[in-house]
Amino acid sequence: MNGIASQAPPRPRGMRSLLVQSAWIHRRDRKGFWFVAPFLAAFLIFMLAPLGYAVYTSLYTTRIIGGTVFSGAANYTQTLQSGEFWSGVIRVVIFAAIQIPVMLAIAFFFATIFDLGVAKYGTFFRTVFFIPFAVPAVVGAVMWSFLLEPQFGPFVHFANGIGLHDVNFFSTNLILPSIIVIVIWEWTGYNMLILYTALRSVPRDVIEAAILDDTPLWKIILRVKLPMVRPAIVLLVFINTIGALQLFTEPLILAYFQNQAISINFTPTLYIYNTAIAGQQYNLAAAAAVILGLVIVVISVSSLVFRRRRSEVS
Amino acid sequence: MNAVTVVSHGRPPEPVAAAEPGRRGRRRRRRDNDNDNFNEIPIEFYGLRRGTVTAITAACGLFAVFTLIPIAWLVINSTKTQANIFESFGFWFDLPFVLGRNFSLLFQNVDGYGVYFQWFGNTALYAVLGGGGATALAAFAGYGFARFNFRSSKVLFYLVIAALLVPITAITLPLYLTYAKVHLINSIWGLVLPSMVSPVGVYLMKVFVEVSVPRELIDAARIDGASEVRIFFRLALPLMVPGLMTVLLLSVVGVWNNYFLPLLIFNQNRLYPLTVGLGLWSERAQNSGNAELFPLVVIGGLVTVVPLIALFLILQRYWRSGLLLGSIAN
Repeated sequence: MNGIASQAPPRPRGMRSLLVQSAWIHRRDRKGFWFVAPFLAAFLIFMLAPLGYAVYTSLYTTRIIGGTVFSGAANYTQTLQSGEFWSGVIRVVIFAAIQIPVMLAIAFFFATIFDLGVAKYGTFFRTVFFIPFAVPAVVGAVMWSFLLEPQFGPFVHFANGIGLHDVNFFSTNLILPSIIVIVIWEWTGYNMLILYTALRSVPRDVIEAAILDDTPLWKIILRVKLPMVRPAIVLLVFINTIGALQLFTEPLILAYFQNQAISINFTPTLYIYNTAIAGQQYNLAAAAAVILGLVIVVISVSSLVFRRRRSEVS
Repeated sequence: MNAVTVVSHGRPPEPVAAAEPGRRGRRRRRRDNDNDNFNEIPIEFYGLRRGTVTAITAACGLFAVFTLIPIAWLVINSTKTQANIFESFGFWFDLPFVLGRNFSLLFQNVDGYGVYFQWFGNTALYAVLGGGGATALAAFAGYGFARFNFRSSKVLFYLVIAALLVPITAITLPLYLTYAKVHLINSIWGLVLPSMVSPVGVYLMKVFVEVSVPRELIDAARIDGASEVRIFFRLALPLMVPGLMTVLLLSVVGVWNNYFLPLLIFNQNRLYPLTVGLGLWSERAQNSGNAELFPLVVIGGLVTVVPLIALFLILQRYWRSGLLLGSIAN
């Protein structure tokens, strides 16, 4: 799209000399800045400035006696050495490593089906699958908490019914899988819709040629369509990774349901929240926020680079 | 109105005619996304075995059940008393049927934690201001980036793209710390103004303008002597409507669902949005012995979800084909 933007605009027809014309374009283009300015101002104030302030705050320490003093990297060292922070980071990385591939596989499966038109009532299903996107994470987590609740929840009754006794979806072992199910429920439809759109833009003649060659359908899907929507998949991996590493709402709400399996530092964002609000250690929380930001940038960008490498090889 | 300008200039009326296909983006003209059966390869050509379509439809049905189960539970249990929510079978109705009573409780200040419909009003206000503001800023900025080459426009645009990388958490806590300094805690602007910053929206609008607002059309209007502001409002904006709807939808949903920032910056329950209020209720119901709040959490959840689902169903044509969402991927 940048190719389009960088092209010189078509010449206005008329007698203008090249010089006058380029001055005219220049002056006109300068006006473009004023279209962008309101957004940039808001962007600066509400995005860049807070980031800068976070870095600034993280370099200071507030003590009960002695007030706020410059403490350099002390907050960073403390966070980096905190086992609770890192166990949270490892947990969300595991979460992302399972949730994202499973979700994208489901999303790709259904996107393919709707693209091929091989299911009945495809339009209806497409609409239904997208509904959870309209459900706030808080409400989604509350609903699933009721459903999975160990004593009264219908899912536990169901597990009993099929012979699985003493299943506790809120236990230490099952809490992460439970959250994975919830997040898959919330986001599959959205991912499916993006993949569906990407699949629609695969040229029809390519598929027709493959069909005429008697290529089996599964091969068309995996060898023709999948590679052609790889950019979309890479982008979704990227977006979902950023989201997954900031996991916050679902574990917080689940923890309300008297859930012992979720510690107050279950995820890095919960760690930041608790350090800031319950612990009142704003400087430390700011340092943790900066570190989490960097971890997310590194992981998401490296996933992008890694993907690109691999796709170049194949 | 612009048609007159364009035609009178002796140009073919094609840009105006293009408005119709342009609604979906020019590139989409070749294939039709809204009509599922148009221009589709007939499924007989895929060489599928008998029963495959049935099996696949069944798989869709299973996933639809998974998708609808929590919502069905919510609908059914919003009609129950507190005791029945826990004791009766979760997926069927039970007497007494107290939907009306549960609903009327949403207007009251139960246990002093706040009034649901006040939160509902707050959420709607925040969503309209924040989502509307985000859409307006994105419309201006997207148009500016797509159709002007001002100095450092590229650098600025890459900066916006880079912002997509920044985790919300890394912004939210600093915002809270900043607000504490400048007395924006418990101010609705503390939530509304940051909600107006939508880098994704700007990116989407730029892409949309590039495919649906022809450069030639803008240049023709310029030669006619129209001012840039007038060109934007009278010429470009009408062509940008489908894109704007998508950005509006996405940003309204974003504000409606936002939890972390309002959780941090509001500590008076009359300012809460629905998410924070419902979160508070479910915490109190579990941990402070206010078990009578459980039916309220359930019906409150339902009333929170219904407007958004309704909005999505009404605006289906803007998202169902993936329209603009898809351009993220291209």
